[in-house]
Amino acid sequence: MEIEIQLTPDPIAETISPPPSLGAHGAWLEFRGVVRGEENGGNISALEYEAYPEMATGEIRRILESLGTKFPCLAAKVIHRVGVIPVGDTAIYVGVASPHRGEAIALLAGFMDRLKQDVPIWKRRALPPVAANANLRTSGPGASADSHRRPQNILSVNEALAEIQSCCRPLPAIRAPLAEAFGRVLRETVCAPSDLPDRDRSTRDGYAIRQNDASESFRVVDTLHAADWKPCQLKSGETVRVATGAALPCENLRVVIQEHVERDGDRIRITKHESALNLRQRGEDVKAGQPLVPAGAHLNAGRLALLASAGCTQPLVSPRLRVVHFTTGDEIVSPEHTPRPGQVRDSNSILIHSLLRRFACETEQAHLPEDFDLAKEQIGNQQSAIGNSDVLLVSGGASVGDRDFTRPLLEWLGFEIVFSQVNVRPGRPLIFGIAGGASVPASRLVGSLAPPDKVRVAFGLPGNPLSHFVCFHLFVAATLAKLTGAEPVKFRRGRLGAKLDDAPCPRETLWPARREPTGLHPLAWASSGDVTCLTEANALIRIPADRGSIEAGGEVEFLSTD
Amino acid sequence: MRVLFFAQLKDVTGCDSVEILSPAPLTAHQLWTELLKQFPELAAHRSSVRLANHCEYAGPDTVFASDDEIALIPPVSGG
Repeated sequence: MEIEIQLTPDPIAETISPPPSLGAHGAWLEFRGVVRGEENGGNISALEYEAYPEMATGEIRRILESLGTKFPCLAAKVIHRVGVIPVGDTAIYVGVASPHRGEAIALLAGFMDRLKQDVPIWKRRALPPVAANANLRTSGPGASADSHRRPQNILSVNEALAEIQSCCRPLPAIRAPLAEAFGRVLRETVCAPSDLPDRDRSTRDGYAIRQNDASESFRVVDTLHAADWKPCQLKSGETVRVATGAALPCENLRVVIQEHVERDGDRIRITKHESALNLRQRGEDVKAGQPLVPAGAHLNAGRLALLASAGCTQPLVSPRLRVVHFTTGDEIVSPEHTPRPGQVRDSNSILIHSLLRRFACETEQAHLPEDFDLAKEQIGNQQSAIGNSDVLLVSGGASVGDRDFTRPLLEWLGFEIVFSQVNVRPGRPLIFGIAGGASVPASRLVGSLAPPDKVRVAFGLPGNPLSHFVCFHLFVAATLAKLTGAEPVKFRRGRLGAKLDDAPCPRETLWPARREPTGLHPLAWASSGDVTCLTEANALIRIPADRGSIEAGGEVEFLSTD
Repeated sequence: MRVLFFAQLKDVTGCDSVEILSPAPLTAHQLWTELLKQFPELAAHRSSVRLANHCEYAGPDTVFASDDEIALIPPVSGG
């Protein structure tokens, strides 16, 4: 019997062809075990499988061969997926070919029974369902057309953030090698597998003796280098020569630095006594089982190094977000061109591209013509990118009718508009929409390119660079955090280092500022088209509606942007 | 000899393997005695765990030598 066995972290193909050895006649029996939405009575979103691959492969082969002597078949193919497998995906595939169906059915039934007894593969854990969303828009096309005509309420910043929170859900987590995990969000808390350091280690070159040993002189019984591990129980009057970093041979030792010792052959005498132990104690940094990096943390260089030191080489992380960004507006020219009167250079593309970098995104950018039909034609060629994206950003033109263009564009692309105005300065004409999931009938999705259950979000960003900066940090970042499972972005409290001079404004304001050790310094800001203040800004001060000026030293809320 | 832990036993021991230094080959009973010295928490799992040696389930008379790769196999749940 031909046998083929695979253990793979990748999805199992939808169709698998029978082996050529079957020829034109006979039985080709296929079985798929699919992950159920329920485990131990509770709802789940995915199961994580673990295998002892070498032994699992061997056991599967042994079982097939032994059953094959009883039920002669031509070929058998077994694929078991491992790692995180979402509900509805195939966990195991078995295909059996035989001249007649009886043997194939008997072999398959026998194999599945034995697999569940003997093959070292485990359901490691069930991943909980993503919180069900009561607020998802369920209106159909008719209601949407209606809402297009009806003026929508202006939401406050908090209301808009709450809508975003309720519309987005974290994408399924995956395992990724450390080298590919930078910038992603850790999705399960990683605990220390052992004490760090793993045993008492010397911090100096010197001689280890028992802590309470009052001997006059000591016999050197061994020499330990940094990589040595030679456990032994030191007796009174004994010492071992140790290098910096060396693991001490037993507990309750201290290290006398070599400068405080006179050595004569294999004996030493301590010339100067000090109380310092000169060692890093076992578990001093982290005790076994203690959390090292919490779920929700962004993986930066230091956290990745810590995961490596703990042996966690395949952390469970957020998937790479796919973002498509369109600029619009016929007055926008590429930065390398000289703008004619009435035109401006495109600074938003590089701004968005750079702001997205810290979120481990795959970003695609393009410029759309302002003519709606031409724009649709161009998008027609990029439908797969949009259909596969998690987030779509559309930068409005700086002057001409950007809202009139972006909203129908998003609706044409199948997005349901959740809100289109926020009572904030700058950034009021902000559009937020969702597609997929329960929100939109599958018939309204772009072609059939996006799976109907995949939720995608879109923003129409007001065209001015400062509005972009504010809307990104306030709303887009909150969306990316939710999709990746990161800790939500929070306002912090701080004090003004200088007076903030402003006339009372009926809208809540986010004012660019520089955070210094002396406090928050408001930056000069003329209009929402102002790019110059962005060069210094590393914070946005939140000024409540109708508040006006705030004196130096006044307490304010702010959002960090670096 | 190297002993591998899988699935929930990784959580119990906090690691995926351990090196056991023994000059002489060990019986299953002796191996367990060594393991329980280092990981007393494993005692609760002993009755449900099968031992494997070089990717095959061990028999009652298997003797584990210094260059063996041993695995503790908790109840499996594949498929």
